[in-house]
Parts: sequence; C-alpha cells; structure tokens
Amino acid sequence: MRGYRSAIYEKQESRAAFLFILPAFALLAVFIFYPMLHAFVISFQNYNLIAAEHSWSGLANYRKLFSDETFGASLWHSFYFTLVVLPVQTAISLGLALLVQKKFRGVGFFRTVYFVPVAVSFAVASTIFRLIYNKDYGMLNAVLKGIGLPALDFLSNPDISMLGIIVLCIWRAMGFVMVIFLAGLNNIPDSLYEAAHVDGANAVQRFFLVTLPLLKRTMAFVVIITTMDALKIFIPIYITTSGGPAGSTSTVVHFIYETAFKQMNMGYAAAAAFLFFFLVLIISIVQLRVFRTDVEY
Amino acid sequence: MNRAVLLPLRWLALILAAVVSLFPIYWMVMSSFRTHEEIFKYTTLSKELFLPVHWTLDNYREIFLDPSKPFGRYIVNTLIVAIVVTAAGLVVNSMAAFAFAKLKFRFKRGLLAFFLSSLVIPYEVIMIPQYLLMRDFGWINDYRALIIPQIVWVFGIFMLIQFFSDVPRDILDAARMDGASWARIYAVIVLPTAVPAIITLGIMTFLNQWDSFLWPLVVINEEKKQVIQVAISSFQSLRGISWGKIMAATTISSVPILAVFLLLQRYYVQGITMSGVKG
Repeated sequence: MRGYRSAIYEKQESRAAFLFILPAFALLAVFIFYPMLHAFVISFQNYNLIAAEHSWSGLANYRKLFSDETFGASLWHSFYFTLVVLPVQTAISLGLALLVQKKFRGVGFFRTVYFVPVAVSFAVASTIFRLIYNKDYGMLNAVLKGIGLPALDFLSNPDISMLGIIVLCIWRAMGFVMVIFLAGLNNIPDSLYEAAHVDGANAVQRFFLVTLPLLKRTMAFVVIITTMDALKIFIPIYITTSGGPAGSTSTVVHFIYETAFKQMNMGYAAAAAFLFFFLVLIISIVQLRVFRTDVEY
Repeated sequence: MNRAVLLPLRWLALILAAVVSLFPIYWMVMSSFRTHEEIFKYTTLSKELFLPVHWTLDNYREIFLDPSKPFGRYIVNTLIVAIVVTAAGLVVNSMAAFAFAKLKFRFKRGLLAFFLSSLVIPYEVIMIPQYLLMRDFGWINDYRALIIPQIVWVFGIFMLIQFFSDVPRDILDAARMDGASWARIYAVIVLPTAVPAIITLGIMTFLNQWDSFLWPLVVINEEKKQVIQVAISSFQSLRGISWGKIMAATTISSVPILAVFLLLQRYYVQGITMSGVKG
C-alpha cells in the first residue's frame, strides 16, 4: 500500500516539476536558443533586409570579416578599452574596498556614496559626461583653463576620445566591483591577519601575502565579468561619440549594431557577432584556467 | 610611515573618492536648474560655475509640455514595461527555481545544464535573430517585444535555486502528506521563506528594465512608444535643445530610482555578493 502511494506521489511530483519548469523552458527555447541557432545559420547567408537578398553564401561573410579593416579596427578598440579598464578599474575598486572594509564612524556613508553611481543608468551617465566634457562650456575644461592648462576636446579628438569614455565607465562601475571585493575581503578570517602580524609582517606584506592570495576567487570573478562587460561596451559609445571621430571609438558591438540595423546586413552582422562570441568565450576559458585555485581557507 | 601621516591620507582618499562619485550627479541636478544662457555663460572657475545664478524650474515644465517629445509618456511606457517584466519574471523564474531546487524528476541535471548553458550566450549574438523573430511575429513597435523575450532570466533562476535549497525537504513532504498540492506548497510555504531573495531579484530586474537601452532602440521606432533611456539619448540629437532640458530629463529619470535604490540597497548588494561569492 505504502509503496503504491509513494509511486503515485513520485509520478505527481515529476509532473508538477515539468509544469513548474515549462514556462521558463518555453521562453528560453523560443527567445534564446532558437535565435542562437538562427544566428549561426544566417551567418552563412547573404541576408540583407534592404536589398531583400536572402541566399546561401557559405563562408563568404567570415572570409570578408578577416579582411574588413573597419571590423578589425572595432575589434582593436574593444580590446584597447578592455586592456585599460580591466587593470585600472580593478585596482581602484579594490582600493575603495580596502578603504571602507574596517568599521569606523561614517563607514556606511562612504560605502553608500561609492555605490551611488551604480544606480545611474549608462545612458544617463553618458549624457552627463558629454556635458562635463564639452570643449566650450564643459566643467572639466573650465577647471583645466582655471589652473592654466590648455582646453581639451575629450570627445572629438581621436587621440583621447576613448579615454573620455573609459573614465565614465570606470566612474559608473567602480562601486559595483567594490561591493564584490568587500564580500571577498570579509570572507578572509581575521586569524590569518593576526598570525601574519605576530610573525612580524607589516601592512604592505600582509596585503601581498595574505589578502591578495586569499582574494583569488573573488579576483577571478571580477576579472572575468569586467572583461566580458568591457569587451561588449556599446551604450556610452553610441551616446557620446557614435563611434567617431573618424571611427576611433567604434567597438565590436557598435560595428554589429551599425551593420545589422543601419545597413540592415543581417548575415554579415551575425557572422561578426559569432566570431566575437567565440573570442569572448576563449578569453573567459583562458582566464578561468589562469585563476584556477586549490587554496582553501 | 606612521599613523600621524597615514590617517589624514586615508581620510583624504575617502573624501576625494566620495567627491568623484557624487560630482557628476551634483552637476546633472544643478544644470537642470539653469537657464539655457547660463550654461554657456560661466566657463571660468568661479562660484557661478558650481551653483546656478538664476534658479529656474522652466526646464522641468518644458520637457513635460513639449508635445513632440512627450516625456511623461516615456516614463509611463517604461514603468509599464518594467513592472510587467518584473512581475512576470518573478513568477516564471521562481517557479522554475523551485522545481530545480526542491523537486525530484527525471532529466533534472540535464535540464539544469541546458538552462545554465544559456548564460554563456551573449545578448549581442541573439539580438539580430531576435529582431527578425519580432518582425515575423509582427511585434516591432509593440510592447510585447519589450516584455515577453525579457521575462526568463537564467541568472535569476540560478540565484533563487541557492535560496530555495535552504528550505528543508521534510516540511514539504509533511505538507504533501497532509494533502497539499505542489502548487500550494510553492505558493504558501516556499515563496514566503524567500521574500528577501524575491525582493533582491525584483529590484535587479526592475533596474535592468529601467536602464534597458539597446533592445528598445532596435525594436521601437515609434516616437510615442519609446522608453525613457532611448528618449534621453534622442533628446540630444534634437537641434537647438538646451542642456538644461536634457539634464532635467536625466534628473527625473534617475533621482527617483536613486532614492528607491538607497532605501533597498541592502537587498541589491546581497544579490551582487551572492552571485559573486557563491557563484
């Protein structure tokens, strides 16, 4: 009797489980996995919505990408952006986390303040910085002139326009990364610091010999998500410079957006997106391997 | 280096970082109270550079009264989309998370792996076919395009699974013996224990939707149906628009969010650290 009842229960449980999962599964299949397969398919097609072309083209899109200088340049800009943002933002965020890690009067205030920019949307942040950077009436140039330096055109000078975007992105993200580091720092047991102190390690030695090694897991997480987000940078580019001046800030996602939704060349854009996807995936895997750790505490 | 040097240096760093964090927001709010002329006028280091001389609310009045750029409408549009996505997302994602965390069924591991594998798919790759799909459905310029594809969020499911795992299975079995259906157990026993997690996920979803930019830019072309972030960016391409008005628009779109965010930041921070440390 008991066995019979529990068999019914198990069957009911299985059925209930599938019903619980069904809505999420259906949405995932239709809006994520089907498009993923479809992207793969159209990357081998000549698919232009304006010219109403739709035909197989084999590897032509991929071949064209490898010799496309605009794509190559956009790829370089994404990597350049990432290579600057990754170390600078990580260092600043870790610095902030260390500043507010220990409790003191007002620590809550500072933690909150550093976190505030996270709540400002990318579109709004980009807009504010456009005003601040303005050559003629922007605040930053007013300050530069005020202390006797020449005015700089942060967003229309190809040499420095990317730096302007980098600063705005770090401003917006540093509080977010700080919170992740804070959680990581709080996981390091105090006893380890005390032991290092007893052994005569000074503050700098404690940072390099205790904090950094034990922060490896957190660091891996930070490095991987920062790299992924940085490589995919788009909104600030679109709003502040639209990829200009002279294409000097066009990133890969900007290239994909322009190709797909301005030139309506879906096949070529899909191929670019796929190539980019594999690059990001390979980089993430390499980073995971580098950071693989056996340290337990 | 001794304490007498380090302590002031530490405070200097603390305060400098605080100023850097807040200054752009301060600048946005102050510029929104300036007249059109004033923004161009004061370009040297002076008190007038940092505080408006003639405070005005005209910028706010004008952005709401301009019929060609109905700002109030943009706010309502965005609120509708964000609220519906958040509500539907919480139901759909928590249901799936409950099944994965607590129920026993065939293919569980395989299905979970299938779900999690979607996390490596970058949005930029599926954006193009998703757009083509919306075209086939006839959803271009339709809120269904903004809402329905955004409901399922595997990261959210993953987060909730970790919360739900803490609910002891014994309680669920006992309720089952008493004749409660699984739907009832989910709604009456499991969901209430996960209220903090639900709030966390709700805030994250809402903020994501409020900030959403690229997807609305692609699927909504009709001026009146646009969402707030895209509207703000299109303000800037208007000829002769004053920065005062643009800053009034950005202030309205971010200050209420900032207030809510500050009130509930504990939950948001919890969400970040959960994903970072456990994940």
